[in-house]
Amino acid sequence: MTPDPGPPGRGSARRATVPLTKEPGPPERDVPAGERDSGHRTRRPWSARRVPAALVAAVILVAAVAALADVIAVRAGRPAAEWRRRLTDALATRSVDDVWMLTGAAVAAAVGVWLIILALTPGLRRWLPLRRPADCPRLRASLDRDGAAALLRDAATRVPGVGAAHVRVRRHRVKARVHVRFRDPRQVKEDLVAALDEECDRLALARHPRVAVRTRRHTD
Amino acid sequence: MTPRSTLNRSLLGLAGLVLLGGGLLILFAGLDLYRRRELVPPDGWPLTAPADVLLGSADRTRWSGQGWWWWPAVIAALALVALLALWWLLAQLRRHHPGSLPVGGTPPQEGVELRDRALSDAIETEAGALPGVDHATVRITGRPTRHHTRVGLTLTPEAAPGATLGALCEGPLRTARRSTGLPDLPTEVRLHVTRHKPHRAE
Repeated sequence: MTPDPGPPGRGSARRATVPLTKEPGPPERDVPAGERDSGHRTRRPWSARRVPAALVAAVILVAAVAALADVIAVRAGRPAAEWRRRLTDALATRSVDDVWMLTGAAVAAAVGVWLIILALTPGLRRWLPLRRPADCPRLRASLDRDGAAALLRDAATRVPGVGAAHVRVRRHRVKARVHVRFRDPRQVKEDLVAALDEECDRLALARHPRVAVRTRRHTD
Repeated sequence: MTPRSTLNRSLLGLAGLVLLGGGLLILFAGLDLYRRRELVPPDGWPLTAPADVLLGSADRTRWSGQGWWWWPAVIAALALVALLALWWLLAQLRRHHPGSLPVGGTPPQEGVELRDRALSDAIETEAGALPGVDHATVRITGRPTRHHTRVGLTLTPEAAPGATLGALCEGPLRTARRSTGLPDLPTEVRLHVTRHKPHRAE
């Protein structure tokens, strides 16, 4: 293989030396310096909003095709479809203070507000963004909230004195409800807060959540 | 944001504005808010009084009284709307795959290509063998020049997500980067944890 004479400036020395093997070797620092901000706070990824877009597109498609088919049928000399006659009759006879018109308008306005909210908010609320590791500047990672709750619940259960633990993870808060079987509940609570904080570090969450613990003495 | 996300969000926002505007127009007229609030709608405003109807007889005669071009224009407009909606719908269902990736740095070696499946399978196998990982799925999407690696990991209950992420970056992803010579792989990692009963074991 002869190295092709690329334009000067584009060809880099790396081209010839890239190994096609899979042994681990010395780390390659081929990352632009500007992007290598390790520990940079990861922002939540934005959803592509595929499902709402597909739904809205499908509704528009069905409506347009139905209207098109009926307009063409009428042009071809056939009578208009039943739904079209009823729709035009309703629109022509029901005044805008009719209860059906008002209900329809309110529903349309509400759906409109909902679509605008969908368009402007990031979505993906189920995912907690994680800190990116130092060596992978273009990696974005997120952890399922249910998964985080399961791991935190295990961490809480490991604290001595805890009988049963129930952990809810919200986007900025972690709430743990635990039954204390033995030991002083206040002591257990302190241990729990420390244990949950430590587990949050192990989770590598980009934003450390606030941890709230509620203990209840277990009564059989 | 990806181009698709921008497109979807713009069109969703547009549809939302149309629905909200139409709904408010009817609500304002139907609840007679113009008179109660002493607002004066501008001339030619479509609905102003509670007794108005959406489709007045004046509108109907005006529309049917247009020239020969009216109905062909309506049909063309409806067909255009239907086609655009179909295209928008298909854009949601379709997912681009690069097919083959250039290998050997920039500019790529001529004649050497790597199937995207081969690379994602290699990453998947290596990632699945990492400690604390129960199951891994890797997919490479996008165009050859702007491809995107999506990694889904299911962790065991004993795993530490931070450490696993570090290991993923040091291990499979670095190997992929080194062996393809691609400068940087934009990667999105989603972590799950296997469902399990509470357990106390260290």
